[in-house]
Amino acid sequence: MRSCLILIAALAASPVAAHVSLETKQATIGASYKAVFTVPHGCAGSPTVKIRVQIPEGVIAVKPMPKAGWTIDLVEGKYAGEYDYHGNKLSSGVKEVAWSGGRLPDKYYDEFIMHTVLTDRLKPNTTLYFPVVQECETGVSRWIEIPAEGAGHSHEGKSPAPGVKLLPKP
Amino acid sequence: MRLLAALATLLFAAGFASGALAHAALISVEPASGSTLATAPKVVELRFNEPVTPGAIRLIDGAGRARDETRVTASGETISIAMPSDLPEGTAVVSYRVVSQDGHPVVGSLMFSIGMPSETKLPASTDHWLGALIWLARVGLYVGLFVGVGGVWFARWISWSLAGMTVPRVALAVGLSSAVVSLGALGLDLLGLPPAALAAFAPWKVAVATSAGRASLVAAAAMLFALLALRSTWSSRALAIIAMVGVGLSLAMSGHAATTPPQVIMRLAILLHGLCVALWIGALAPLAALLSKPTPAALAVVKRFSGVAMPAVGVLALTGLALAIVQLEKASALVETRYGLILSVKLALVLMLLALAALNRFRLTPVLARRGAQIILKRSILLECMISLAIFAVVAGWRFTPPPRTIVPETPLAIHIHSDKAMFQVLVSPGKAGKDDFVLQLMTGEGVPLAAKEVILTLSLPERGIEPMERGASLGPDGYWHVRKVELPFAGRWRVRIEALVSDFEKISLSDELEVPPP
Repeated sequence: MRSCLILIAALAASPVAAHVSLETKQATIGASYKAVFTVPHGCAGSPTVKIRVQIPEGVIAVKPMPKAGWTIDLVEGKYAGEYDYHGNKLSSGVKEVAWSGGRLPDKYYDEFIMHTVLTDRLKPNTTLYFPVVQECETGVSRWIEIPAEGAGHSHEGKSPAPGVKLLPKP
Repeated sequence: MRLLAALATLLFAAGFASGALAHAALISVEPASGSTLATAPKVVELRFNEPVTPGAIRLIDGAGRARDETRVTASGETISIAMPSDLPEGTAVVSYRVVSQDGHPVVGSLMFSIGMPSETKLPASTDHWLGALIWLARVGLYVGLFVGVGGVWFARWISWSLAGMTVPRVALAVGLSSAVVSLGALGLDLLGLPPAALAAFAPWKVAVATSAGRASLVAAAAMLFALLALRSTWSSRALAIIAMVGVGLSLAMSGHAATTPPQVIMRLAILLHGLCVALWIGALAPLAALLSKPTPAALAVVKRFSGVAMPAVGVLALTGLALAIVQLEKASALVETRYGLILSVKLALVLMLLALAALNRFRLTPVLARRGAQIILKRSILLECMISLAIFAVVAGWRFTPPPRTIVPETPLAIHIHSDKAMFQVLVSPGKAGKDDFVLQLMTGEGVPLAAKEVILTLSLPERGIEPMERGASLGPDGYWHVRKVELPFAGRWRVRIEALVSDFEKISLSDELEVPPP
């Protein structure tokens, strides 16, 4: 019943293809998550030429899916904490993924995909945000707004960061 | 003689000990005046543009009771007032009286409401009778310094006789009592006390601690020296000189002009100005007395005085002009500010005085040997005396008007937005409906300047249906972000939102409301 409510809420809240967002709106912590970033338009009509995604803390084992016509760049760095992954201690890894070199006209739609693991260090029943910077031939759209904790759903943000609702481990 | 040495040391030490800057002005208050707070503040902080000494700080709480359990601490330009822990709901008033470095009291009040506002009356500022007393004491002080000390100097250095010393003697007595009165009145004014409190030590102590108080002491010392110089001893001429220097020093120690940079030059100008006034005005009364019993010796004295008076008037005019230019900043201030108006009246009187002096010097003095000329000269000199007195009365009014230089321009609207992550200070000038300039000061939660790549200011007025207007800010050389000429078409409660891009992926946005008054 509860997850059903969350689903309804998530569906009701998702603006119709107006923002860069995550296709799968909820995920279970302690499991893998296929993050599909949907890019419905360019920046005020200008074609998209680069998508940069910041990996939030607690998300490890990031592997972007190659995409024809686009080059992938990974920025690696230290995690704030140490995570257990298949018996190995991970203290560093991918912090940012960037697709560039392609050209996505405003009138087309595309998806940028990566595989991730959501560690069980993440807090259940919160939203995990992946800030995205969309660079275009002219202009930049920053999908980086994260509502303040406890502020609830805010309509004020014009360019919210794509988020995924975290469900507790079953 | 030891007493003399001690007095002279006091005169000089006091003259140079006061390191002053400018007239203090309140810059900011935390919590902001007029704000409504959910809970009572622990501390109220007043920040001035220069270090100040707290005088009387009063708190009237929301229930209308005067509270005296506030603790006041001062450090530099900030005064912190610890509030009692049991402030009731309603509007509390903090009225403050502080002493700025130039010795002038700065007074004001601020209000904040806890829970909800209540109706409160502001306490009254300086009483009228006290203001009149301060003014009167000042006039008396000028009479003592210029007519008294100047007269004694004339007797010792120009006329070489003690003839006609009645007026200077009276002037010295008036001046000495005025010095005491002005000290007491200053103390009462600073502490906001009734006259009965003069029996206590506190107002005197506070007054002496200010530069104005010390200036009164130096003036009193100068007048005492002049009294000593009236006794015929071998040292009387030297004493007259010391007294004259004391006149200049006491004027240069305090007041608005003395605290203006470049201080050394300004003080020197005031010192010279005061010396020349004493030289000129002090001679008038003895000259008039001398001329009422015409003797051949009187003729020689008038000639000698003319020789000294000419350069003195020149120095007087030059230093006066320089001081006026610095204090006024622009000519229009002569009529637009009270300070300027006083100066205008003074200048008009001075011109009359100069005309009379010129008449005396160039028309009457050369024909002094003729019968009747001495009578005319005497009348002219008496007229000069009256005009001088009028000038003293007008100039004493400066005690109550800040010079245009120190008038702080209209305070811009200011809001302070605070979150754990950041503190944004927003200044809006002129802070009225119309075109406004915004200055954004960004700081981290710890108060360290916040480096941003991009800052956007968004304004909306929901009550009038004005949707968010977005303006990009530009980083100025001062390290603040500026948005110029922002159109705020209506008065009302505007929503202000500031977004600072601190990295590619991180943006800090804070918003608040801004009450914009009509133009």
